[in-house]
Amino acid sequence: MTHDLSVPALRADRLGKRYGRQWGLRDATFEIPAGSVVGLVGPNGAGKTTLLALTVGLLAPTEGQVAVFGEPSRAHTADTLARVSYLAQDHPLYRAFTVADMLRFGASMNPSWDRALAQGRMEALGIPLDRKIKALSGGQQAQVALTLALAKRAPLLALDEPVASLDPIARLEFMQDVMAAVADGGLTVVIASHVISELERFCDWLLVLTGGRLQVAGPVDDLLARHTLLTVPRQTPSAALPGASISRTDSDRHSTVLIAADPARMAAAQQPGWHADPVGFEQLVLAYLRRPPLGVSRAEVVAS
Amino acid sequence: MIWVTWRQHRTQAVICAGLLGAITIVAVALGVWMRSTFSSDGLAGCLASSGGAGCPAAISSFTSEFNGGAMMPLILALFVIPGFLGAVVGAPLLGQELERGTWRLAWSQTVPRTRWLVSKLALVTGGLVVFGVAVTLITTWSRAPLDRVSIRLQPPPFNFEGLSLTCSLLCAFGLAVLAGLLLRNTIGAMVAGYFAWEVPFLVVTLLNGPLHIMTATARMPCQAGCPDASTHSVPPVTGNLGDLVLDVTRSGNQMIVSYLPASRFWTLQLIEGGLYLAIAVAALGTAVWLLHRRTT
Repeated sequence: MTHDLSVPALRADRLGKRYGRQWGLRDATFEIPAGSVVGLVGPNGAGKTTLLALTVGLLAPTEGQVAVFGEPSRAHTADTLARVSYLAQDHPLYRAFTVADMLRFGASMNPSWDRALAQGRMEALGIPLDRKIKALSGGQQAQVALTLALAKRAPLLALDEPVASLDPIARLEFMQDVMAAVADGGLTVVIASHVISELERFCDWLLVLTGGRLQVAGPVDDLLARHTLLTVPRQTPSAALPGASISRTDSDRHSTVLIAADPARMAAAQQPGWHADPVGFEQLVLAYLRRPPLGVSRAEVVAS
Repeated sequence: MIWVTWRQHRTQAVICAGLLGAITIVAVALGVWMRSTFSSDGLAGCLASSGGAGCPAAISSFTSEFNGGAMMPLILALFVIPGFLGAVVGAPLLGQELERGTWRLAWSQTVPRTRWLVSKLALVTGGLVVFGVAVTLITTWSRAPLDRVSIRLQPPPFNFEGLSLTCSLLCAFGLAVLAGLLLRNTIGAMVAGYFAWEVPFLVVTLLNGPLHIMTATARMPCQAGCPDASTHSVPPVTGNLGDLVLDVTRSGNQMIVSYLPASRFWTLQLIEGGLYLAIAVAALGTAVWLLHRRTT
């Protein structure tokens, strides 16, 4: 569990994966420091699961590479598999197993298995060990799957849409458990999710993917500071603005533009009739989600 | 892995044990009955004194009674069991993981997928071999009196004595495992595995493929007139009850008998078993290779 904090927990270098003639992910480059809680956002088919599967070692990249704590992920190797805990979408479990069977499965398949952690979590959650998986609620199943991932004791935890099928209470409890595990064990977590509000609450790092392309990557605070919501007269051309415009909404007389420019640069470029506002997390994410991936030759990486 | 394999296949293990139990009960009952008929008909003495030549009627009635009627349900069951059981055990091994999405759980643990698959295949194959050998031993024991006065070179009993049943079972298992990987569906893989197994099964059972390449030819003088080519006398013209006479032709004062000597039973079993095993190994090897290679 002890890792050199100067080595990035996750580093992608021009990472790409092609399915047939279609690129599921292309040209992804980013570096995430250890201890981060990363929100991975994107519409369906944007490449989120592909990125996670490449990281975990379920897939092999077509080009580039992804490294976990400095070691490149290689598909189907015990080294890579041991470095990442993966909770796949819809938290797959063996439905005919009892909870105890499921935990024994985890113990058999992972040399680093933390039995006390697994048992303790089941006790704390009040999930009976002799209950069949299929008899558990969706929230309990997700918790069992999370327990399998946590008890593997890997330094990186990758969660694919972990709360998509859960009700609001179960969602909150699940995410609180993830955050508690992060606080306890110095985990680095990547959470792929559609639920932006959830990510806003828990994440300190953001990756936005659309159409297999990385739109933006960086620490949340940094990204918020480097973007401004600017209201300008409608006829103002985007080229006249002091930064790249990420999204633009035109109304009758004004346009609202989200631009990539920090406050200092904004202040320097301020003109009469312009009104600058700080941007919120959700606005920022939505702006990047709406930005068309086509024509973006290289993802704009905001250095941290 | 041993526990995981056991946990995922224990229902099938119970089915196999139940099947083995049922076969044992039927085979033992038949075996005991056959032995008592064998001795009450005086067949043992007849075989010892004349090699069967002195009691053709008794042999005919014994073989027709047990090779047909009484043995029939067991014989029919033994024809389908390898394909059926192999498909039922093999299809879910990969098919169900892929169908239900649990492969994402199974293959993201620390044990790499290739080791996971090879361990499972080794353990399940071991279980199937134990089952196949047990069924073979029990049914062979049961039929022992019948085998003394009839031909073992044709199915039945060629398909369940010796190596045939076990290798056939592994063949169906291998094909169903591969079908599960390709079809990603348990039921589809069972059906596909079973029908794929039918191909080698029909070749060796109906066409008697391996049999005819192993025939021997004997020339012998006709005593008291040469028999017709169609005559299947008891004992046969070769004098051995276990020989399979395929053809008799006349050539002057000689008859030319083309036949399979009973002594070639094990050679033929090795050929047939080898054919089944080669298919099993090819199918399982392909499955392991595809799974290891597949990174999409």
